[in-house]
Amino acid sequence: MSEALQSAEPPVQGNPSDQHQTAHPNLPPVHLDAFEGPLDVLLHLIRSQKLDIFDIPIALITAQYMEIIEGQAALDLEVAGDYLVMASTLMQLKSRLLLPRPQLDDEGNEIDPRQELVAQLIAYEQYRVLAEEMDTLPRAGRDVFVRSIFPESDEVERPLPEADLDALLLAFRSVLKRVGGEVRHQIFTETISVREQMAFVLERLKAGGMQLDELLQGYPGREALVTTVLAILELWRQHLITVVQSECYGSITLLPQTAEDDA
Amino acid sequence: MSLALPLLHQIEALILASDEPLSLQRLRDLTGAETTDIRTAAAEIESFYADRGIRLVQVGGGWQFRTAPEFAEVVQGLWQTRAPKLSRSTLETLAIIAYRQPTTRAEIEALRGVKTSSNIVAGLQERGWIKVVGRKEVPGRPHLFGTTKQFLTDFGLNSLRDLPDSSQLLDEDEIQQIITDNQTEESELKDAEAQTTESSNEVYDDEAEA
Repeated sequence: MSEALQSAEPPVQGNPSDQHQTAHPNLPPVHLDAFEGPLDVLLHLIRSQKLDIFDIPIALITAQYMEIIEGQAALDLEVAGDYLVMASTLMQLKSRLLLPRPQLDDEGNEIDPRQELVAQLIAYEQYRVLAEEMDTLPRAGRDVFVRSIFPESDEVERPLPEADLDALLLAFRSVLKRVGGEVRHQIFTETISVREQMAFVLERLKAGGMQLDELLQGYPGREALVTTVLAILELWRQHLITVVQSECYGSITLLPQTAEDDA
Repeated sequence: MSLALPLLHQIEALILASDEPLSLQRLRDLTGAETTDIRTAAAEIESFYADRGIRLVQVGGGWQFRTAPEFAEVVQGLWQTRAPKLSRSTLETLAIIAYRQPTTRAEIEALRGVKTSSNIVAGLQERGWIKVVGRKEVPGRPHLFGTTKQFLTDFGLNSLRDLPDSSQLLDEDEIQQIITDNQTEESELKDAEAQTTESSNEVYDDEAEA
């Protein structure tokens, strides 16, 4: 123990002459980064030296533990906290073991001050082993793979629902029902024929030229107006009348086509 | 429906086409077959694929086709990225949650003897392996964590009972018991040793007297 505290230089591997100076002659130098905390370090010390976990030589282990902690160049403050708490726990255990009168429990039995630490170590060791075993399970995405879609594959195609005309019609029908009754577009046959109107326009123009506005005045509805305009266009196409507009947006004059014009 | 086709083939087709493990319930709904028939068929498919490149396995409460583990390396070649290795701290945290669920972060920290960084817990949640299953009714009402169906599926487990050696896991009382037993043995041993020393001393004394 005292030897361990005296040895200032880090443990050197493969140099037998130095080995007796360290508290753990058979232990390779360790770095805290390799450990998952103080319990992990303690388990490493106990297991690698084949010590009895139920009868931990606290003095030896404390010395070895302290040596590892002190051997670290710099400790991350957050990590260091846990290690230092364990260091103080070990120190406390060591001192309690030196007490001549052990503490007794309710039934008068000796309480081993190491009991709590041992329980913690055993509990932790179980999960450490189980974690290792869990890691060996064939893991999806690492050892085994499924046919389904991986996030790695960038072209993921999902089929769109198939179009169904019947369903569409049914949906539409139900919308119509909600709106209230079916909506139909009614088509009526024309009441005035274009041909009839052509004759009428020619009749009006017999007397001479006429303004379009004048001609269209007094018609009862859109239908008649449209028919008349169609009639005028048809007459113009057939060279039966002439349409004249002297300026943009100006009034339009309709003239009967004369024989002289044709010539 | 193609009920004329063997149930075996129907099930095989369904499992292949499904994105996730197909449960017995789903297979029953889809095929209309009896539970026992489905189980028999699944077992038959399982044995058929036992020595092929893909296997039929029961994971996460259902059946799924997976590539056989021995082809992991060649299949990995399909993708640029490899599945990252899980750190020991992540694995230990996950193991504690898996075996002790529902459990809190404080309990995980007590067991591991170190602070569990929130990154680890968040990382496990992100992978969909653990989730908050409630709150513990103690001061601060900390989150209780448990594992998910995704965890079972990804680790190839059908249920939590399939976790390795879960039956051998000792609880605190059992650990205490073992410690007490060991200490009793030791003290008995020490007593015995002490007696032997005493008796040898006696012998020595006798000799001295003689």
